[in-house]
Amino acid sequence: MIGCHDFCGHYEWTFAWLERAGGHALVRDYWDAAINHDSQRHARELIEREGFAGMEKYWGHTLLEESPDLGFNITSAPGVFRIDMHDCPSKGFLRRNGLEQYCDYCDHCMGWTGPMMREAGFVIDHEHNHRGQCWWEMRRAAEKGGHAAPGSVSGAKDVRLRADWGPPGAVLDRYVKETDPDRKSPPAS
Amino acid sequence: MSTSPLPYTDTKPQGSADFYYATNATFRFLLARLGEDGWRRYLRDLGRDYFAPVNRAWRAGGLPAVASYWRAFFAAEPGGEVEVRELPERVEINVRVCPAIRHLRAGNREIVREYCRHCHILGEARAAEAGLQMRLSGGDGACVHTYATPAAALPPQDPAAIREVAS
Repeated sequence: MIGCHDFCGHYEWTFAWLERAGGHALVRDYWDAAINHDSQRHARELIEREGFAGMEKYWGHTLLEESPDLGFNITSAPGVFRIDMHDCPSKGFLRRNGLEQYCDYCDHCMGWTGPMMREAGFVIDHEHNHRGQCWWEMRRAAEKGGHAAPGSVSGAKDVRLRADWGPPGAVLDRYVKETDPDRKSPPAS
Repeated sequence: MSTSPLPYTDTKPQGSADFYYATNATFRFLLARLGEDGWRRYLRDLGRDYFAPVNRAWRAGGLPAVASYWRAFFAAEPGGEVEVRELPERVEINVRVCPAIRHLRAGNREIVREYCRHCHILGEARAAEAGLQMRLSGGDGACVHTYATPAAALPPQDPAAIREVAS
């Protein structure tokens, strides 16, 4: 039986298997068709129906279930929904167990939430440091703004204020008002 | 160093049951895009590769290692009712309530009808790596998995013994 206690392990392994079987296009297709449109359809339906309130309900529930020791922070502010992930339960599981088959596990989040947000009328500003830390800001597609200054939305809970956010050698992947997992922006100067 | 029979462990005692949605969706995706042969190949590769540490532990530890693995496995899965019995030449895992089928039904998910066959395809691949045999009977929410040494001389798997899932 395939279990859920080690889900992130065989999920990450699956990305690498799919890439060997059908290239990057099949991995993208998997994130959108299997995760966004099938597995996580409860999230998609909630966010399409309720917008920011739906995001708060979905991530409030799912992050608490996956990370009961609160390795994350959620901020709702006018026109923006923000997540600061200080200790990703999913990437943390992989790091603790020495599992790395796919080139960038963190891409799967944009891989399924990107299309979900696009379909619901939102865009994403996001960075991840490949060390279990990331941040997300969701805004309506027509809204101005993006990549708010550190601390300006989530205060002291902003993950970018951590001393270990960008240590020497860490690579930050960055998205600016984006929903496509392959359209990363150049690193901020 | 971990003393758990599970090769990959988490800080939480049990996994999040909503991940069963993703496993069911992964099967649906593979069956749609790659057909049944592709789905079977995925499961066999998963069994040989991702589960290689377990397979090695089973080969080294024999049936007691198989039994302790499955006890730890189902303790980490939420919502199941399972009994693991060590018998001469075999281990029987009596799944009275499958945690995955239970959660998928509770969430009103359309379950792929082939779902229960994954336990046999995956289990058979893992058992072969460990020098064992695996058979499955039942399905659709309750089943019996048998892992046995070659000395048990189990009859071949009867495909009809594995029930399709009725969503």
